[in-house]
Amino acid sequence: MITKALIEELLGIAVSTGADFAEIFAEQERSYQLRLVSGKIESVKDMMLSGVGIRAFLGTKTYYASTSDTSREGLLKCAANLAGAVGEAKKGIAVPALIKSVVPADEILRNPSDVPAATKADLLREACDAARNVSDKISQVQGTYLDVNRCFMVANTEGLFADDRKVRTRLAVNAVASDAGENQSGSYSPGAGMGIEFFEKVRPADIGERAAKQALTNLGAVYCPAGTMTVAIENGFGGVIFHEACGHSLEATSVGIGASQMAGKLGQQIANPKVTAIDDGTIPGAWGSFGIDDEGNPAQRNVLIENGILKGYMVDRLGSRRMGMPMTGNSRRENYTFEPTSRMTNTFIDNGPDKNEDIIDSIEYGLYAKQMGGGSVNPLTGEFNFSVQEGYIVRNGKICEAVRGASLIGTGSQILQDIDMVGQNLATGQGMCGSSSGSVPTDVGQPLIRVKKITVGGRS
Amino acid sequence: MKFEKIKEILFEAAKEAELTEFDIYYCLTDDQSAEALNGQMNSCSSGVSGGVCFRCAVDGRVGSAATQCMEKEKLEALVARAMANAAVTDADEEPIFFAGATAADYQKINVKIPELPGVATLRQTAMTLQEKLYAENDMMTDGTASGAGATRRTVALANSKGLSLSSETGAVYTYVEPIINDGNEPSYGMGMAATLDTDSGIVKKATDEALSRLGAGLVKTGTYDVIFDARQVRSLLAAHRSIFSGKAALQGLSLLAGKVGEQVAAECLTLVDDPFYAENTVQCPFDAEGVPTREKILIEKGVLKTLLYDLTTAKKAGVESTGNAVRGYADPVAIAPYCLRIEKGNETCDELITRMGNGLYITELKGLHAGANAVTGDFSIESAGFLVEDGKITKPVHSFTVAGNFFDLLKAIDGVADNVQMGLPGTSIIAAPDVLVRNLSVAGE
Repeated sequence: MITKALIEELLGIAVSTGADFAEIFAEQERSYQLRLVSGKIESVKDMMLSGVGIRAFLGTKTYYASTSDTSREGLLKCAANLAGAVGEAKKGIAVPALIKSVVPADEILRNPSDVPAATKADLLREACDAARNVSDKISQVQGTYLDVNRCFMVANTEGLFADDRKVRTRLAVNAVASDAGENQSGSYSPGAGMGIEFFEKVRPADIGERAAKQALTNLGAVYCPAGTMTVAIENGFGGVIFHEACGHSLEATSVGIGASQMAGKLGQQIANPKVTAIDDGTIPGAWGSFGIDDEGNPAQRNVLIENGILKGYMVDRLGSRRMGMPMTGNSRRENYTFEPTSRMTNTFIDNGPDKNEDIIDSIEYGLYAKQMGGGSVNPLTGEFNFSVQEGYIVRNGKICEAVRGASLIGTGSQILQDIDMVGQNLATGQGMCGSSSGSVPTDVGQPLIRVKKITVGGRS
Repeated sequence: MKFEKIKEILFEAAKEAELTEFDIYYCLTDDQSAEALNGQMNSCSSGVSGGVCFRCAVDGRVGSAATQCMEKEKLEALVARAMANAAVTDADEEPIFFAGATAADYQKINVKIPELPGVATLRQTAMTLQEKLYAENDMMTDGTASGAGATRRTVALANSKGLSLSSETGAVYTYVEPIINDGNEPSYGMGMAATLDTDSGIVKKATDEALSRLGAGLVKTGTYDVIFDARQVRSLLAAHRSIFSGKAALQGLSLLAGKVGEQVAAECLTLVDDPFYAENTVQCPFDAEGVPTREKILIEKGVLKTLLYDLTTAKKAGVESTGNAVRGYADPVAIAPYCLRIEKGNETCDELITRMGNGLYITELKGLHAGANAVTGDFSIESAGFLVEDGKITKPVHSFTVAGNFFDLLKAIDGVADNVQMGLPGTSIIAAPDVLVRNLSVAGE
């Protein structure tokens, strides 16, 4: 990668036209993806991403320039473009001498780059074969194996100079069950910030089976009724509810510019006292963990909500300037082509006081959302939506028939108050979160929870 | 490094590896943008990103590898990586590398490619829009954003059969996101235009949209007739565009499989894929395999006429490629429409609303990536819009879902307006008018 002398030279150019801060981010990422369809490995996506992003601040104005041309000339041109955009007549700050700090790297037991492709292909086949073998009604199975090896370096005019490496691995299966001209699907896609050893923890065959069984359940399901009802949301990926309903509204990206429903509410009771929510980028081997964030700050464990009271936001460097609050190790970006901003890492509602069986028992009529899909939110209004991938009607405390095609909608401030039971089986699920700095891996999580009242989008 | 040099290195390395069938695909994008926020300049950005993919056939299997590192040794290593990847894939049909068509088959693009204006100009444009936003309404509040951007993209394709093609596309855009607060609640609007002209009308339109949403109420759960505005029709089509892929059909992932010649939609619907539509600013005369792109009717008066194909899928299906192969520099070849367009109907939007009588006019659909499933067709989507009573828009409504099945929806279309509007260039470009659909499920209060 680029030398220390060149980094210092680039920082000097970046602040030469009046900027009060500059940062260099250099990245190389090898990703390897196998795709299996109709029982065959159909394609390999093997990619080396490589480039540099240079950023400068002038107060809360930001300037960014990136390039995949990492030759000396390419980088000098990139820095000059940035300086030209800042364009103030005065000279900027001085660049201090950089001293490299050491970031302890994750322990990766079986690095994917040392494992033959055929072994990876076998893992994928195992998962997809297991899905296919669940039933004759499984008409199609698509599987994806992915590993990513990301190395990056950050240096800035405050003397920060550090690098980090992150390995992550994922296996996704999407199964389709068909009958009488109708398709229904099921999917499961666990991943981790681990090497191939992840598949000793999670068996590929179990991934495939779970996806196929879900597709079969949905094939036999009736359409979910529409209306307002009590909903129990299961653990794991169910935590997407907090991610969408509240998490995005706690990012400095929206709080710092005053466009969040959660702005100015620190110390206030914003959720039911049973709700404690945490964002923790330090969990070893987790999908959303890292050593340092994309601005070079160490990952942290941040309590967002404690017993219903708002305790903190997720703050990046620009947000810190805007909000006058310390950075929280949440600055992330998909890659060097994006300017980083505050993002979630592994975000979850912590275990609560209620027994899981009591939660289902308490529902006279409602929905049990066993597996959630993705969703979205408008942080300004807090209006969110997410889809239910596998759901069941609950009657008199009993889980009854499967229902399909449902979504849940509401507003963050309301649902946080309406989460009135919190169970004790905390688990996480893996997702890719999209926002202004691109798509980044995040964990969502929670134990089984009850929402006393929410709009269920189904068929009327 | 220039494309010609990259090509020379890769062709030489391929020759050394005794490969006879291969291609290289190269993309270079140059982006510039600026954004203003809360009445001030906020950010400026520029980026150059290039990458190359080497793809080859080894013993009847195809493998590829891509990189952004253009050093000679990294490029040479790409050939070995692609060969190793070919060994992992399962042999399917014979790989096809296209020898090219006659020059006359490649249509000429009919748009002017805009130059990159530079961030200074874009910054000025973003700031002018910002000033116009705050001048437009006294209730404009924090979070109000405006921006301008430009992009230019070069694509080049060369293969062992002597094919050598390149194309340039470019686009400019402006956007505004006004946020209004009347003291009770914030409301927002959104406007975009494929121009750098700050007088395109988006400021007023988006501000009016934000104002019109103030005081939105709830709707009762029930069955409603619905008009989706042009923007939402484009979103719905984008979320379901994979149903037109011939490959998805062969793999049992599209319920349109085997339906060519059948009535799959209402008679008032005609849908075309027209890469050279005059309002499409990012036209390319060849697809990702070098096949000429061309106009084709997908649905004519409700009858499915064809699906979309690349070379391999077309061969399997026993048809010709429709020139719909697409890829980024790092991605395997996929199939997608180039510029989908719903042909305009005979009624104005107002006439459509009058004819509907009672129902909902939907102006916002959210979370389609999660709420719509193209394989099953089922959708349940958070929506906002207006209540229509006795043929008139009466009040704003929000926080409801509209649910149904896309394949049923196509048949339940009962009117197509004449206001065809083009979306901004993205991976797929879509033009559509307002559309009336009967009997959709709505969940509200």
